[in-house]
Amino acid sequence: MKKISLPLLGFWILGCGIFILANGQVEIYGYFEPQYSGIYLDSTYYQSSYGKLRVDLSSTDIKNVRFGADIIYLNYFGKKTWDILEFLPDSIRNAIPPYQQRFYQFSFKDTLYLDNAFVRLHVRRLALMIGKQQISFGTGYFSNPTDVFNTKDALDPNYEQPGHNALRLEFYPIPRLNITALLSPIASDWENSGKLGRVKIGLGHFDISVLGYQFKQTSTDFYTFQQTVEERIIVGGDIVGELLGLGVWGEGIYNIAEISDSTSYELLVGGDYTFEGGLYTMVEYHRNSSAKDDHQNYDLNDWMRYITGESKTIAQDQIYGLIQFPLTDYVTIGSMGIFSITDQGAAIIPMVNYSMYENVDITLMLNLYLGSEGSAFSNTLGTGGFIRATVYF
Amino acid sequence: MFKNQIFAITVGLVVIITSIPLFAQEEMTAEDIIRNMTETLNPEQSEGKMKMTITTTSGDERTFVYHTFAKGGGEKSLMKYLEPSRIKGQTILMLNDGDDIWTYFPKKNHVRKLATHAKKQKVEGSDFSYEDMGGSNTFTEEYSSMRLKDENKEGYTCYKLELYRKPDSDAGYSRLIIWVDIETLVPIVIDYFHEDDPELREKQLILRDIQLIDDIHTPTQYTMYNKLDDTKTHMEIIEVNYNVDLPDELFTEEGMKQ
Repeated sequence: MKKISLPLLGFWILGCGIFILANGQVEIYGYFEPQYSGIYLDSTYYQSSYGKLRVDLSSTDIKNVRFGADIIYLNYFGKKTWDILEFLPDSIRNAIPPYQQRFYQFSFKDTLYLDNAFVRLHVRRLALMIGKQQISFGTGYFSNPTDVFNTKDALDPNYEQPGHNALRLEFYPIPRLNITALLSPIASDWENSGKLGRVKIGLGHFDISVLGYQFKQTSTDFYTFQQTVEERIIVGGDIVGELLGLGVWGEGIYNIAEISDSTSYELLVGGDYTFEGGLYTMVEYHRNSSAKDDHQNYDLNDWMRYITGESKTIAQDQIYGLIQFPLTDYVTIGSMGIFSITDQGAAIIPMVNYSMYENVDITLMLNLYLGSEGSAFSNTLGTGGFIRATVYF
Repeated sequence: MFKNQIFAITVGLVVIITSIPLFAQEEMTAEDIIRNMTETLNPEQSEGKMKMTITTTSGDERTFVYHTFAKGGGEKSLMKYLEPSRIKGQTILMLNDGDDIWTYFPKKNHVRKLATHAKKQKVEGSDFSYEDMGGSNTFTEEYSSMRLKDENKEGYTCYKLELYRKPDSDAGYSRLIIWVDIETLVPIVIDYFHEDDPELREKQLILRDIQLIDDIHTPTQYTMYNKLDDTKTHMEIIEVNYNVDLPDELFTEEGMKQ
């Protein structure tokens, strides 16, 4: 991928900003978000933090046209370089030859990038969206099998996702029927670009969608660092609605690989309920058939693909839970929990959200891993957490 | 004699004419009043801008501004937040009188359908729940009503109505008492009683500053007092227009994204 010069990008953004401001057509808003993270690992306390500035631009001045963009600057401090092998089970770490171990280090580098930049044109029942944009499919909270564009962090699933280059056409022939065609031009030619079709329909108190997606998937062999690109077709769908007073949802995909002729499926079902007084509870079950059903068989590739987001889970079966309660007008307390049925590993993530001022949120989350070594949420991953302030402007 | 007859006829006519509305009002049942009140509060179409101020127990205030659209006498409604920037662009769509609710998160370009239980949740931490904000037919569909003795309330002569939740209803309040201005048929005060205790007053809504806008009597100030939490939320109509022709497409997923 061709690298963009940061100073050049900065001048371009500044130029666009001055032009837009001079014409008074665009709203500017965004947030600044410092986050302090700490982790206690192998008798050492590490701190790794960042400051994030996001500036959004949007305009709806031209009839039937919406322009939106955001630029993000990330500044890291504290411990920036990490050795992934430190987090892996001894059996896997010890099998890596010493001369190869430096390849498993990665560093956070300060970055400035264009996160989203799109134009959306709409005429009555038709909308065309071109550019780097948010693509978000699925009804699940912790994970979305139907969303092949993003991989949620199960420990912070509500956090925003990066934009993706795409051309999206949406057609609304009748109320509660939405037909989407999406081209993801990640390659230089049509053949290798991702093509997605999705139909979403509302039936009674349910929203149901089906989708098909043809794309090239890159998978990495982390022993040799060789990458394989393979055509895949996924078909699937999602549903969300209500049953016996409970909110219910589900989504699933069937994944067919062209060359290796392998198939797999992924399924997620969930439900939620709000009690009197505002106590909110939610539970989800997630099965990923491409993951292993015995944690003794997790290998380097399984771990690395999970850590880098190439695969959504390392364990085949997981249960997620969330409980939240508005303690005061401005303070919400709660906890997430993840339990891996496959390897009996578990993580508990207590959290507090404090709306300090109208445009200032403080979030505190802790990560407590309870699994034995080798499990998905092993206590060898360390105990840590973060405090994040988000100041909107 | 003739003068006396004229006088008697005149007095009789005056009595008859002036008593017609009183007689008609006396004849109005609780259901009639609720229906008329609902029609007054939910014109066929409307577009407006509202300012919502939440006051907490400690006296802190939070302010929200949003754009609202409604059609079909409130059967469809859409509200898009304009301020603060923390939630700018977030949109709530309610269809079927609030039975179906969707939220749109612009930062994720994601639309999510909410289940009915979410109607109990506070809208952005305010003292209004989704149920309070939507559902033009809630009073008639979810509650059975009876008329009590008329009363003066907040300076208005009012019909007083008592509404009980129907046995098969899942409404969030067990009982309501509503005072409706006899002249404009605008509700002046609504008392909301706890879901599980019909004697425990949970909230009180007071509507003020009734103005005639586009020939429709419109309360322009709403204050919801939470009697249990000792908080209040004030809503003010910044602008409203009833002479609008809103397309049906506005009340769809596409409309939320515009």
